[in-house]
Amino acid sequence: MAEAERIDPRLMREGRRSRGALYTSIGLGLVSGWAVIAQAVCLAQIINGISFRHLPPAALAPWFYTLAALFLARAGLAYGAEITAFRAAAAIKTDLRRRVLERLFARGPVPAADEASAGIAATLLEGVEGLEPYFSRYMPQMALCVAVPLAILALVFPLDVYSGLILLVAGPLVPVFMVFVGYKAEAINQRQWDKLLRLSTHFLDVLQGLTTLKLFGRAREEIAIAARISDDYRRTTMAGLRVAFLTSAVLEFFASLAIALVAVLFGARLIHGHITFYPAFLVLLLAPEYFVPLRGLSVHYHARMTAIAAARRIFALLDADVPAPGSVILPKLSQIGLRCAGVSFSYGGAMVLDGLDAEFPAGKITAIVGASGAGKTTLARLLLKFASPQAGRITINGTDDLAALAPEAWWAMLAWVPQNPRLFHGTIADNLRLGRPEATDAELREAARLARALDFIEATPQGFATPVGDLGAGLSGGQIQRIALARAYLKDPALLILDEATANLDPASEADILDAISEIARRKTVIVIAHRLAVAARADQVLVLQDGRIAEAGTHAALLAGHGPYRALAQAYGEVPCAL
Amino acid sequence: MRALIRLAGLFRPFRGWMLGGLALSSLTILANFWLMTLSGWFLAAAAITGLAGYAAQNAFNFFSPAAGVRFFATLRVGSRYAERLVTHEATFRLLARLRVWFYATLEPLAPAALQGFRSSDLLSRLVADIDTLNLFYLRVYVPVLSAIIATLIMTGFFALFSVQAALILLAGLVVTGALTPYLTGRAGRAAGRDVVRETAALRGEYVDAVLGMGELLTYGAAPALLARAARGNTRLLAAQAHLAKISGAGMAASGLTTNFALLAVTLAAGGKVAAGHLGTADLPLLALGTAAAFEAVAPLPAAFQYLGQILEAAQRIFAIADLPPAVPPLASPAPVLEHFALVLDDVSLRYAPGMAQALRGISLTIPEGGRTGITGPTGAGKSTLINLLLRFHEYQTGHASFGGHDLRTYDSAAMARYVTIISQRSHLFHTTIRDNLLLADGAATEAQMWQALEVAQLAGFVRAQPRGLDTMVGETGARLSGGQARRVALARAVLRPTPWLILDEPTEGLDATTEQDFLRDLAPLLEGRTVLCITHRAAPLALMQQVYALNEGRLVA
Repeated sequence: MAEAERIDPRLMREGRRSRGALYTSIGLGLVSGWAVIAQAVCLAQIINGISFRHLPPAALAPWFYTLAALFLARAGLAYGAEITAFRAAAAIKTDLRRRVLERLFARGPVPAADEASAGIAATLLEGVEGLEPYFSRYMPQMALCVAVPLAILALVFPLDVYSGLILLVAGPLVPVFMVFVGYKAEAINQRQWDKLLRLSTHFLDVLQGLTTLKLFGRAREEIAIAARISDDYRRTTMAGLRVAFLTSAVLEFFASLAIALVAVLFGARLIHGHITFYPAFLVLLLAPEYFVPLRGLSVHYHARMTAIAAARRIFALLDADVPAPGSVILPKLSQIGLRCAGVSFSYGGAMVLDGLDAEFPAGKITAIVGASGAGKTTLARLLLKFASPQAGRITINGTDDLAALAPEAWWAMLAWVPQNPRLFHGTIADNLRLGRPEATDAELREAARLARALDFIEATPQGFATPVGDLGAGLSGGQIQRIALARAYLKDPALLILDEATANLDPASEADILDAISEIARRKTVIVIAHRLAVAARADQVLVLQDGRIAEAGTHAALLAGHGPYRALAQAYGEVPCAL
Repeated sequence: MRALIRLAGLFRPFRGWMLGGLALSSLTILANFWLMTLSGWFLAAAAITGLAGYAAQNAFNFFSPAAGVRFFATLRVGSRYAERLVTHEATFRLLARLRVWFYATLEPLAPAALQGFRSSDLLSRLVADIDTLNLFYLRVYVPVLSAIIATLIMTGFFALFSVQAALILLAGLVVTGALTPYLTGRAGRAAGRDVVRETAALRGEYVDAVLGMGELLTYGAAPALLARAARGNTRLLAAQAHLAKISGAGMAASGLTTNFALLAVTLAAGGKVAAGHLGTADLPLLALGTAAAFEAVAPLPAAFQYLGQILEAAQRIFAIADLPPAVPPLASPAPVLEHFALVLDDVSLRYAPGMAQALRGISLTIPEGGRTGITGPTGAGKSTLINLLLRFHEYQTGHASFGGHDLRTYDSAAMARYVTIISQRSHLFHTTIRDNLLLADGAATEAQMWQALEVAQLAGFVRAQPRGLDTMVGETGARLSGGQARRVALARAVLRPTPWLILDEPTEGLDATTEQDFLRDLAPLLEGRTVLCITHRAAPLALMQQVYALNEGRLVA
């Protein structure tokens, strides 16, 4: 709970960004709340006038007109409050989405394992949406909760002290009681929701594994298991809900009892003529209104819980550490050679790179090989400046320290093709122009031709205008790779870093991609993370990564002739004694 | 409407619970209504008595109405509590029923009907649809029917005093409860669709941003994406603002109707009181009753919204439930086999009419005990061959026999008795290693499981886990590496000594070193079984006796 209390003030600070609309919305709600009181006065006057002063309705016309005017005003206020509350929340939502996204970019690419992309997208969309009720419902309700009951008390006390006292005592019981049991009910609900989630996950899991179940001839038995789990869930949830419902029943009981008590006490005094009908009836009209905002509080309390859960995820993204970027800006280099000296890196646990020394000569192809987990991808991340070494230095052309460089200046000189390249929402041409929006159609075709992508692009009905990405047509893994290579070529970088991903391609596609890589690599510095030795065989230099260091370096042929780790690796890959 | 009737049919076994919840919900509304009417009448009657002097005061029965007020106040709280218990209990029972029904409906259709739902995203949507259907009872059935019941009783009660007041109340309730929600619902439908569309578009931008961040940064395209996401957000907010205006107008209209009904009832009844046609105390009764009556229709706007979502979900769910099974159910029990050769003679298969043939005139004999490898590029029809053999999909022409009997005399359950499959797609359930192993053989002993893990070279890893066999494998096996997950599938195959073993891309996604280790441990398992191995990688084929290549649905020797 302590944590939730820290989140509230922070949410309020967020609210300050659009305080104009927020205060207007709260103000409109308050005026509307007070209009309810005025409305009760008019109605009590009318009924008292007809029933006890024996006036014809026409004589009470001013009261009727006032009442009608109040009704119209309240309709307008309700509409206005809804719209301004939306505006206030909209400004906050826009601002948060922008800041979180900027923060994510400042932090740089995260390892996919850490946070699922779907999770971040859900936080940005549904998470941020979840804050809306906090600003549009919960905060105005908090204000109403104080202002309306106080105004009613101020009206009731002069009319009747007894009723005023009953309301005064019963009113605070609601929030006080809620503070005591509400928090406990919250914990119970949290547990139940986790369970619900687990059950939903279980159902999804079973549906996903339905084919596997069938293959084991056990699909029908699972029906009974699903039914049993649902049943268990129902029993435990209902046990929790029984308590939660009981607490809200007690709350309602206070409110009901207070109203009944007010009515009965008035009845007793009215019979004996100690009091007149008008104040009695007015208080009876106001008593339910007194409890309405208080009861609403428990409903909107739920909005607060949702918002706090969402805010926790949003603030976690906003609070993520952002590495200090370098600021040195180099002129665009035409030749890039890189050197690593004593480079070490860890993600917080064991050292992934441990005092690594390596040389990547300008204009040459260097292949990095090694078993999975040897640190190949980490090394590429450091060279890409997505992360900085914790010890050691990476220098450019023997002089400039990579760490001091402004990331944008560095990125402008290189191109990177990751293992699973991303095609963005748009056309194939949009994707090719990602790094060079001004590229001509002829340049596009040339890049596609070199990357062995032209044939299949032209085979599609829309050619370069074919939509791709999540909402577009499906392309095979090999085709996506080739588009990504064409995109990299089009940028004409001095340094090309590739994470070669031919592992899951059939041999024909693999050969295509290798040809494309050789083609676009001419006269550039190329660093390839090789998962297959076919790529290493074409490289000028092969670096074998083992235990966070370079264990061996040389050409494919020279290393294969030796008896070091490269030869062992080649045997495992099945490329030394031919497997077939 | 037909979807709702079907849904009601599914819920039939829980009629008792459903009606019970409905009765309690109606009772809650009515208790509140009578609490307010009685209180209004009681105050006025007491005031009249007070004005009339001592004789009347002595004659006035104070205790019955006062007890009535307390009774209705207590009844309201009690029935509300009972209502919430009963309706929630019913909701959970209905959810279990829905899930079991959906699973039982889907089981004969899988995997053919789920082909289009391969991605877990779409499958999650189905699960969410089931949850939406489940809202029908709590959010639509109870509020709508209890509002109708309460409306009839309340207007009937008003008619005892004034038919005119009763008609005004009825009109007000219908406008607030049905007409306004219907109109706002209709006006909001297009805006609602815009919100869904813009949300999906914006989600696409965010997923692009996260998954493509490295490329966006290195290509200098991050500012462009940020600008696109900002525009997407603006479009989403515009659609939401439209929706907010409609719902704000709806709320204002409902409030206005409620209030003007109160005004009209007061005016009408006031005229009758002034003319002496109605008792003095009846005016406050009718006024307070009118205000309380509208509580009955308060949840209806939400009910209309839910109804729209429920109908959409029902459409999707029932569309799947109505799919015909890919393989017709068996007319007679499948034959029991002595030997297990597979003979295909000129067999062709297409997944749907109008689609290209996935297998074209395949003739192939796999003798009992033989080890056959099939290789070929992606999309050549390798997986289709497995779907054919496992009876997941029906072939259209040619003749196929298994163990000397026509393949059509088996269904997938019958084939599963003779065949075990090791596949990259073997699903690991989000439960313990033990449960995942028991799937292969429900009667396996602890010793047998350890032995299977030993063969699969996973025993060391499992033993090193603090909870041993009870280690959770994580959602779709996420906590195990690719190689380890494959080994669990291997251990399952050890526990299930069927005559046939199918290896479906057994080493896909493993690096070369892991692949070699895996194949080494797999080799002993192939002894004495008929093996069919489908792969585009070279290494697994080394274990086969004969290898065929498949290309565009045809066998090329």
